[in-house]
Amino acid sequence: MQTVTTIVGGMQAIVGSDHVRGGAGTAAYRLGPAAPQAVVFPTDESEISRVLAFAWEKGLGVVPWGGGAHQSLGTLPTQYDVAIDLGRMDRLLEHEPADMTATAQAGIRVAELQRRLAVHGQFLPLDPPLADRATLGGILATRLSGPLSCRYGTARDLVLGVRVAHADGTITKAGGKVVKNASAYDITKLYLGSYGTLGVIVEATFRLYPRPAREQGWWIASPDLELAQAVAIRILRSHLVPNRVELVDRTALTALAGPAADSALLLSVAGVPEAVQGQGSDLVRIASDFGLSPVEFSLPERRWAALSDFPWVNSGSKTACYRAVWRAIVLPADCAKGMRAVRQATSQWAQAPMVASVAHGALRGAFCADTLEAVRRSLTAARTVLQSIAGILVVLEAPDSLRPEVDMWGVSPDALGVMQRLKSEFDPKRILNAGRLVGGI
Amino acid sequence: MNHDGLAPETRGRLIQACERIVGPGGVIVHPDELRVYECDALTYYRRSMPDLVVLPTSTQQVAEIVRLCREAGVPIVPRGAGTGLSGGATPFAGGVMIVLTRMSRILEIDLPNRMATVEAGCINLTLTNAVKRDGLFYAPDPASQQACTIGGNVAENAGGPHCLKYGVTTNHVLGATLVTPDGEIVRLGGKLSDEPGYDLLGVFVGSEGTLGICTEVTVRLMPQPEAVKTLLAIFQNMEDASNAVSGIIARGIIPVALEMIDRPTIQAVEANVKAGYPLDAGAVLLIELDGPRAEIEAEAMGVEALCREHRCLDLRVAYTEEERALLWKGRKEAAGSFGRITHHYYLQDAVVPRTKLPQVLREIEDIGKRYGVLVANVFHAGDGNVHPMICFDLHVPGQAEQAVKAGSEIMKRCIEAGGTVTGEHGIGLEKREYLRLMFSPDDLAAMQCVRRVFDPAGLCNPGKIFPEDEPQEYRSKTRHPSGEAAPR
Repeated sequence: MQTVTTIVGGMQAIVGSDHVRGGAGTAAYRLGPAAPQAVVFPTDESEISRVLAFAWEKGLGVVPWGGGAHQSLGTLPTQYDVAIDLGRMDRLLEHEPADMTATAQAGIRVAELQRRLAVHGQFLPLDPPLADRATLGGILATRLSGPLSCRYGTARDLVLGVRVAHADGTITKAGGKVVKNASAYDITKLYLGSYGTLGVIVEATFRLYPRPAREQGWWIASPDLELAQAVAIRILRSHLVPNRVELVDRTALTALAGPAADSALLLSVAGVPEAVQGQGSDLVRIASDFGLSPVEFSLPERRWAALSDFPWVNSGSKTACYRAVWRAIVLPADCAKGMRAVRQATSQWAQAPMVASVAHGALRGAFCADTLEAVRRSLTAARTVLQSIAGILVVLEAPDSLRPEVDMWGVSPDALGVMQRLKSEFDPKRILNAGRLVGGI
Repeated sequence: MNHDGLAPETRGRLIQACERIVGPGGVIVHPDELRVYECDALTYYRRSMPDLVVLPTSTQQVAEIVRLCREAGVPIVPRGAGTGLSGGATPFAGGVMIVLTRMSRILEIDLPNRMATVEAGCINLTLTNAVKRDGLFYAPDPASQQACTIGGNVAENAGGPHCLKYGVTTNHVLGATLVTPDGEIVRLGGKLSDEPGYDLLGVFVGSEGTLGICTEVTVRLMPQPEAVKTLLAIFQNMEDASNAVSGIIARGIIPVALEMIDRPTIQAVEANVKAGYPLDAGAVLLIELDGPRAEIEAEAMGVEALCREHRCLDLRVAYTEEERALLWKGRKEAAGSFGRITHHYYLQDAVVPRTKLPQVLREIEDIGKRYGVLVANVFHAGDGNVHPMICFDLHVPGQAEQAVKAGSEIMKRCIEAGGTVTGEHGIGLEKREYLRLMFSPDDLAAMQCVRRVFDPAGLCNPGKIFPEDEPQEYRSKTRHPSGEAAPR
């Protein structure tokens, strides 16, 4: 066990005394019951490398920290001595608009990155929840995405390369800066979704897209989830190129100011105005085959962000009730089935607003209830019914007192043995976010 | 590493054991027949013969063969149709070659979820043909798609002309069943997207058969676009054509394909298939747009304006499916047409940032001149993926060496321009030494960690990807008892 003074002193020697916090200054970096002994704010690659080399030598448990927006994800680390806050590494390093690529440091906030790219009419089509706070590194490490993945895919389709600080401080690069690359192993993908357990992403290069001239939305209210689902599947098999296809249940409709209905599809199409118009009429025709009528709407950008933020925001206040936030994956064609099963299994205990990104079979929702026990029962019951249709439920946020009783991941991957061996190769001392990922990795 | 073949008794035992697994008809042992498997489509690169070739018909059989080899300490080399261009399926140190062409079935087409599961030996185009009636297609379309296997595409992370918009193999593979070098059957990914845990599937795709043998693949199917528009833009020279490419990309237009064909290639193609490319042009761009009709009409106007801005001499539009097929025929037959202008050629696959294309193409031409070799270019311009074909005649003393030197210099220039050595062909045997121009020893060490996890004995497709003398005990510093980090 290292003393606090050794840790703080060692870190101060690397980044300067203004950029290390100890004592009470670490409270905001608490994870569950534990606060770290020090929070370090490196300013560049060389500093983070030396910070890690120090931690490696002393055997200190390290948690990489971006905006802190999604630190509720995953299991609690088994050892937590130092938080490395990447907030000072927030530069957009390269942006050649004509190449449609950019490189940024990991600590840049996603919303800020988008503002910088928008100056040139471009964007990174990742719309994770809480983009105002979340950092690029954070959403890549957790592989978070949003409704736009329907059209643009997820981080694994958009990131071209990364620079990573390893457990012992070694810096490596993976991938490259061009849009096509088959040079040796594509280990960039290993770091995406690794929760910092293999290394700390310090920089990423990614593909950009032009901001569409116009995005047009439609609500298609439906008497039940299954009919809305059928429309969604038809649209996804048609020649339409929707931006977002979200299946919204009754409770979530209220939260998202949707139509008063049992359920609805929320769709959008983006592009040049003529094309948006054309796709809009096709959409109306498809919906009318099912006896439904789309209602057109336009939204300022902030409102689209609210859709991405659901259920972190708008799903019941954390203070007024006990709340758990979760995501689930099912087959795309099973979204309605999954949502109905969850609704039926939990309605006696909790409010359960839910939305599904149909193209990827990605459900997200919250359980809000008056008692902790009701939230716990809802999670267990939902997980059970989803398992019966081969789905997986992952808890993203739960009250601290519930966490020890709930398995956040709820699954054991087929290739867990391979994953564990990878962890041992990359971080044999287990200093990086140990225990955070699925299967105790 | 030299390979003198297995000891006769070891070989005999393996042959018998393999015959017990797949039947006598599934094992090839005669030297004349083995010669077919001496190399892939990188024909001038031969290293050793396989000791025997086995043609399994199930994942279970593959696992049994791999276990046999592991117990005997014999290398295994997976192979699909052998259309690879970097020597990925060329035996490096003999061993047992496992050929997957008898595992060619489509196992499931799941229309509501737009997915298909196929055996690794399923031919790429077979899948697209099977789902055409349902309005779907499988997007990755390597030039060899009539022959190449989807398992081979997974191993090489294959691309193709239409990958500019739709992405390469890795963007379309959802799951894979593989036999690990230990002989275990492991499933990576699957029909559910974004399962928790490391993205092992992401690193497996493109690992060139060094992490295990892919036996089944689940892929995403795409809905066919509403409309397609194919244009041929004719330019005085490559400079103007490449400026037009950069202009189109910079405008944010993403054609489904944007291919450049230079003058020497036009001569070869026209002599061979008569695609109607003008013989007096310096370069042509084959541009294809697809998507909702109104969208591609708007994009076509943008493309046309940009081509004119960059002094295009003429712009032709394919109005019928036949006209479109003819324009594409020229592109697709390009490699096969090179026999008209050269005896041999050395094909490269570097990628550069799109804004650097005009400059890099100028430099490629200069390099060719300096080494006295003709360089023809037919390539995926929209991705910045250049395919210089360095022409030479093996019978002219010294010319092959000049070609290789020119190739090496071109590669270095592409990397200096911020690029990469291979966009879609893979490293294989051929480009191993170039990796060091892109990656530091530490970068390569991180990759070797992955290799070691999957294949600690190093028996799975040995000799591929990594430079030959790369040390075996990588990242020893992280295992150093003192725990000291290496100096940087």
